[in-house]
Amino acid sequence: MPDRKQISPFGSTLRRELARMKSRPMYFILTVGIMSFCIIFFISLFNEGQLLKMPIGIVDHDNSKISRQFVRNLNATQQAKIAMKLGSYQEARTEMQKGNIYAFVEIKSGFAENLQANRRPPLTFYINDAYLTAGSLLLKDITAMSLLTSGGVQQQILSAKGIDESLISGIIQPIAVDTHMIGNPWSNYSYYFLNVFFPGVLEFVILMTTVFVIGIELKEKTSRKWLRTADNNFIIALFGKLLPYTAMFIVWGFVCNIILYGFLYFPVQASIFRMLLATVLYVIACQCVGILIIGILPVLRDSVSIVMIFGMFGFTFTGFTFPIEQMNYPVRIFSEMYPIRHFFNIYTDQVVHGVDFRYSVVYYFILLAYTLLPFLIFFRLKKAAIYQNYPIK
Amino acid sequence: MRLVLQSEIKKLQVNCKETFHIFLNELKVVSRDRGVVVIFILAVLAYPLLYNVVYKQETLSKLPVAVVDNALCHESTEFVRHLNATPELNVYGTYPTLSEAREAFALRQVHGIIYIPSDFARNVNTGQKATLSVYCDMSSFLYYRTVLQGTNHVVLDLGKNIQLKRLSEQGIAGEAAQIIAEPVPYNDVVLFNETGGYSSFLVPAVLILILYQTLFFGITILAGTAREENRFHVLVNTSEHKGKILRVVLGKSAAYFMIYLAWSIYVLKVIPVLFQLPHIGNSIDLIGLIIPFLIASIFFSMTISVFLPNRETGMLIFGIFSLILLFLGGVSWPLSNMPGFWRAFGWIFPSTHGIQGYIKINSLGADIQTISSEYHSLWIQTVIYLFLCVWAYHWQIKKSSAKARLRQMASRKKELTIDKTAPLTNSKKDHTPEA
Repeated sequence: MPDRKQISPFGSTLRRELARMKSRPMYFILTVGIMSFCIIFFISLFNEGQLLKMPIGIVDHDNSKISRQFVRNLNATQQAKIAMKLGSYQEARTEMQKGNIYAFVEIKSGFAENLQANRRPPLTFYINDAYLTAGSLLLKDITAMSLLTSGGVQQQILSAKGIDESLISGIIQPIAVDTHMIGNPWSNYSYYFLNVFFPGVLEFVILMTTVFVIGIELKEKTSRKWLRTADNNFIIALFGKLLPYTAMFIVWGFVCNIILYGFLYFPVQASIFRMLLATVLYVIACQCVGILIIGILPVLRDSVSIVMIFGMFGFTFTGFTFPIEQMNYPVRIFSEMYPIRHFFNIYTDQVVHGVDFRYSVVYYFILLAYTLLPFLIFFRLKKAAIYQNYPIK
Repeated sequence: MRLVLQSEIKKLQVNCKETFHIFLNELKVVSRDRGVVVIFILAVLAYPLLYNVVYKQETLSKLPVAVVDNALCHESTEFVRHLNATPELNVYGTYPTLSEAREAFALRQVHGIIYIPSDFARNVNTGQKATLSVYCDMSSFLYYRTVLQGTNHVVLDLGKNIQLKRLSEQGIAGEAAQIIAEPVPYNDVVLFNETGGYSSFLVPAVLILILYQTLFFGITILAGTAREENRFHVLVNTSEHKGKILRVVLGKSAAYFMIYLAWSIYVLKVIPVLFQLPHIGNSIDLIGLIIPFLIASIFFSMTISVFLPNRETGMLIFGIFSLILLFLGGVSWPLSNMPGFWRAFGWIFPSTHGIQGYIKINSLGADIQTISSEYHSLWIQTVIYLFLCVWAYHWQIKKSSAKARLRQMASRKKELTIDKTAPLTNSKKDHTPEA
């Protein structure tokens, strides 16, 4: 039935894909459901930003005025909260094994007496580094608190010895360190995690979606119809199929940027437009990796497994938890395969460090270079679409 | 009376025999499915190795930092020398100005800058407190931690020397000076994960997740495949197993359990020894935890799998859950600081209790009484998910027999209209002999 207005092959492929998107809930789950869930999950999980008031225990054998004061001071610190007072070391250790406390302080009996008699009574803290985040923060907190306690005692003794007031602070603390945390001045965990998790989840979802929308045509043997709609031009077929997702995921990427920098006011050193540009390139790069995977293995279920394995390592290979350059050499090379690795470099430069654009230009180009990947498997995938010669299960 | 007993025993024997038959059959199905073999065997074998290779380096060492020394006094040069000698830091270069050091920072040659201002020398010499500045790269918190750790080390060391010197200038020396230098000596004892290693902290949680997620994906693939291949796109062949759902569930789960019990020994016991991760747990306690963990995980996965129509559905939807479950496990972000809603949500998944229980036994040396809360949660889950699983299978079978009836009616109508041309398709599956 010839229409007055002939629809172009591209237009009809696009239309066909839009109709397919409505055909089953999986498309909605992939393009909308997972991203929404993850954004809500991570924002609300790291809602506090910093780890505050973590439970610790106290074993106070002394129970003197001084030890009680120390305990009160400890409870007033930012990170620690005295969750329980325990009778013995053994009891405290068991509570630590139960996971109810992440650290405890033991004050020996006679602490106050010894302190007043200048007998240097020791204070011992026990830390659980199997929960490394909690453990290291608490160690910092408790150390600072006991330095403060020592400082008070030192002040008293030095004043009593008649030392000049102007020299006392120089004796107590000869060298002080002034720490500047570039780009994240409060060592806020939500800045740290969300800035990476949002693009990380996006990468994973894009890979899954790309592999799924192409793979399902092969699995259900509808790929010839798909090609026919595009007038047997495979380039048009690919563009028409993937463009709706490119648009959707770029919107998602922008939404993430707007949530982070516009809505939650996370610090961003450079212009946000550099991140938006990076986001556009990033989405396209991820789609190209998706095409590459389904092109190498034109079997839906195998490709999904590959994405599963490949995608999960993406978070590791970003290098934001454990820096890449300290990993061994093969791992470092492998990490370069991930678009998120290069996106993370742009983010580090522009959002965290706030350096000049020229330092990041190379990473923008690397992201752009991912568009060459589909050419590697172009004919292989086209053949698979025509001959449907791969097992479907 | 005796007759009743005899017939009961006979029934039980038949039941057991049939469950065993289903068990064997499921093992056969698993071994014939390439995708499932990849997940059940290859992934479980390779994943722990890969993770350990990636995180082999436990801590950062010799992290390059820049130094800007504007003081150029005896103390500052000594400071830089000591800084370079720490295991944490490596002085990549000394720069005349802060902006030049920032250039090295922008080029990622260094991950921290130590700035010693010109008044540092004067303050040191006049007995005042001298301040130096440290700039940390916050793109990874490990950079920040390492730079601070290294600097604090040296600052405390040199500070102590200066302190003693100043005290002796005031005529205080010997024990009196010691008392003033450290009136309350404190020592921090790291009880577990003594080296503060990154992989010792993260990888144990990942190991549990590897078992959990591969089990989950394997089971969803098997269920999805069964549905794709079945005549009416249903999970269980109705004619075969009507009214014997419990036997099907138990038989299948016994097959998965057997495979994974063996794997647990490799993943949770051999791997930590091999890669020097913490492994101070008692094996008996560990097995006590693993048994309910595996059973609960299997029933949970089988329950969810009933609702997934295709082979790949599970991975497509729940792939990202590996990350979410890791956080719900409460390792990187402590449970005490997790919002109540997400804690409750995390309770639903056997992995949460598995991760906590495993870390407590394996890394903290707890026994089964100490982790009774995880242990009981897992057994409660086992009961709940067994119940849900049987219910879900039942629901599925009811739906499928309704479908079959509809199909039959439709084909009968067809037969009447088109005159028996096409014979009714029979189920290709062989029926198990009825007892």
